[in-house]
Amino acid sequence: MTKVWLPCGYYHENYAKDQGWWQTPVIKGKMVLLLLIVFVGFPLFLDEYWIGVANMIGYTALGALGVQLLIGYAGLITLGHAAFIAVGAYTSTLLILQFPWPEFLINWGLAYPISIIIAAIVAGLWSVLFGLPSARVKGFYLILTTMAAQFITVDFILTQYVSQIGGRGQAFSLPPGTIKIGPWVMDTDIKVYFLMIILLTLTVMIISNLLRTRVGRAWVAIRDNDIAAETLGINIIWYKLLNFFVAGFIAGIAGAFWVANLAALSPEHFPWSWSLWLVGVILIGGAGIDGAIFGSIFMIVVMELLQMAAIPASEIYSKILIDFAFLKEMAFGLAICAFLIYEPRGLSYRWWQAKNYFNLWPFSY
Amino acid sequence: MELFLMTFTNGIMVGGIYALVALGWVLIYKCSGVLNLAMGELTLIGAYVTIYFYLMGVPFILCILFTLIIGIMLGILVERIFLDKLIGEPILAVIMVTVGLSFFLKGLVGFIWGTDTRVFTPAIFSLKPFTIGFLKISTVYFWSFVLAIVLFLVFVAFFKYTRWGLSMQATADDETAALSLGVSARFVYAASWAIAFMAAGVGGALLGNINGVNISIGFLGLLVLPAVVLGGLNSIPGAVVGGLLIGVLQNFAGTYLDAYFPGGVKEIFPFAFMAVFLLFMPYGLWGWIKIERM
Repeated sequence: MTKVWLPCGYYHENYAKDQGWWQTPVIKGKMVLLLLIVFVGFPLFLDEYWIGVANMIGYTALGALGVQLLIGYAGLITLGHAAFIAVGAYTSTLLILQFPWPEFLINWGLAYPISIIIAAIVAGLWSVLFGLPSARVKGFYLILTTMAAQFITVDFILTQYVSQIGGRGQAFSLPPGTIKIGPWVMDTDIKVYFLMIILLTLTVMIISNLLRTRVGRAWVAIRDNDIAAETLGINIIWYKLLNFFVAGFIAGIAGAFWVANLAALSPEHFPWSWSLWLVGVILIGGAGIDGAIFGSIFMIVVMELLQMAAIPASEIYSKILIDFAFLKEMAFGLAICAFLIYEPRGLSYRWWQAKNYFNLWPFSY
Repeated sequence: MELFLMTFTNGIMVGGIYALVALGWVLIYKCSGVLNLAMGELTLIGAYVTIYFYLMGVPFILCILFTLIIGIMLGILVERIFLDKLIGEPILAVIMVTVGLSFFLKGLVGFIWGTDTRVFTPAIFSLKPFTIGFLKISTVYFWSFVLAIVLFLVFVAFFKYTRWGLSMQATADDETAALSLGVSARFVYAASWAIAFMAAGVGGALLGNINGVNISIGFLGLLVLPAVVLGGLNSIPGAVVGGLLIGVLQNFAGTYLDAYFPGGVKEIFPFAFMAVFLLFMPYGLWGWIKIERM
C-alpha cells in the first residue's frame, strides 16, 4: 500500500497519536461522515433496487477481502476461493435447517449468528486443508492446487453429497422466517443491508488491525521473499496456513451472508468463474484492503450501468438483453485486460495518488 | 479383461486429442513464458468455427483447414494486442490477462452461438464401430486419434526441419542466446501462440465430434492443465505422455470408479489426481527441476 502523507505542517507529539488510524481532525470528520452516509444515509435515501446492489457489493467485497489476503499480503495466488465461500454457505444452511437447536436459542434468534461463526471456522479449516500443498509448491503449481480445490469441493463434494442431505435434490431454499438475528427476521433487503454493513465493517476493522501486527508483517515478508523471511526466523509454513485459515474464515462469513441475502442455495452459485471474478476484482482494485472494496464497487456498479445501458440498446439489437450474461462475461474479460495493460496498479493507486496530491499541495512532487 | 482393454484404448484415443492441445500449451510456455489459462476457450473457438463451416456444407477436411487458418490469425492478433504489452510484468498479471481473454472469448462464443448443443450433421464418421480382434473401436475416436497424431507429426516436422521451427526451438531453450543470434523474439511469440491456437482449434473440433459442440467443451480444454503438470511444464514429450495418461486415467475413473460415487467422478478425477501428484512430484515426469526446499 502506498503511504498517505499528512498535510503539510501537521505533526504528532506522542506515539499513541502517531499510531492512530485517523490521524487528523479532517480525516476523523470525513470518516464519521462516511459512516453516517453508509449506516444512515443509504438506507434512508436509496430505493430497494440499489440496496440490493449494495448487498451484492458487500458480498463481493467480503469474498475479495479473503482473496486479497491470500494474493496481496502473502503472495499465495489462489483461483479456488469460491469453494470456501460455498463451504461457509452450506455449513450455515445445514446448521440452520438440520441441527436440532434448543428451543430458547431459536426463540432468541441466535441460531443464525452462531451458524455464521461455525460456518466461518469450518470454511477456514477447509481452506487450511487445501492450503497444505502450499508447504511444498509455489506459484503456478499453487494455482493449480487451488483450482483443483475449487473443482473437487464444489463440483464433486457439494454437488454429489452435501446437496443431497435431506433429500432435497440440488438446491436448498430456506423457508421465510428461519434466518433470524435476535428479534429481527432477515426478510427485506434493508435488513440484509444492515447485516452486510455490520459484517463488512467488523471484518475490515479486524483485518486491518491484524495486518498491523506481527502476523501481518510476517505475511508481507513471505510475499516479498520467502527464503529471506525464513532466514529471519519466520516459520513460513505456519504463517501461510494461518493466512489460508483467515482467508477461509472471511470466505465463510461471506458464504453465510449469501444465505441471508438469497434465502436459497445451490452449487451453481459458486462456479469457478466466480473465483476468477474475485481475483479480477482484486486486480482492478489494486493493493490493500481498500483495493478489494474499490474493485468490488467498480465491478458491480459497472455491470449495473451496462445493464441499464443495454435496455435502450436492445431496442436496436434485441439479442443484447437476452444474452446479457454473455455480454457481462465479455465486459469483465475486457475490463481485466484493459486494467492490467493500462492501469496495472489498480484503482487504489489512483485513489492514494489523488489523496496525496491534496495532502501535499503545493509540494506535490 | 475386455472392458479393461477397451477402456484403455478409448483413453489413448481421447488422450491423443488432449496431447495435441497440451503441445500448444507447452509451446506457449516454453517460447514466451506465459502460463495460458485460456486454453479451454481456444478449443471452444476451434470447435465452433469448425462446426460453423461444416453446417454451411464445406467438407470436413476443408473445415479443419479453415480452423487452422483462423487459428493462425487469431493467435497472432491475440499475441500482438494483449501479450506484447505484458513482457516483463509479474506472473500474476500475465495469467490474469489470459483469464480475462478466456472470459472474453467464452462470452463471445456464447453471445454469437448460444448454449445449445450442435452436432455435426451429416455425421462425418460412420456410426458403426469397427473391430480389431475383440476390441470394438468407434470410428469417431479412431479417426480423431489419427488426425491428432498426423497434426502432431506435422508440428514436430515443422520444428525439426524448417528455419522458423529451429528458431522457435532456440528461443525455447535459451532466449537471450537466441536473440543474440538474430532470432526475432516477436516472431517466435506470435508463432507459438498461432500454433497453440491451431492445435487447440483442431482439438476442439475433434472433441466436438465426439460429444457434440457446446459451451462445455471449454472445460475439456482445461483438462490440458493436469496433462502438462503430469508431463512437466517445460517438456514437449512430457505433454504428449501427459495427455495420453490423462485420457487413460479419465476413462478408467469413469469406468471403474463411477459405481462408487453417485453422479460420476470422470470430470474431476484428473484434477484430484493432479493435486495429489503435485505433492509428490511437482515438476512432473520430465520437467526441469528447480530445487527449492521450503
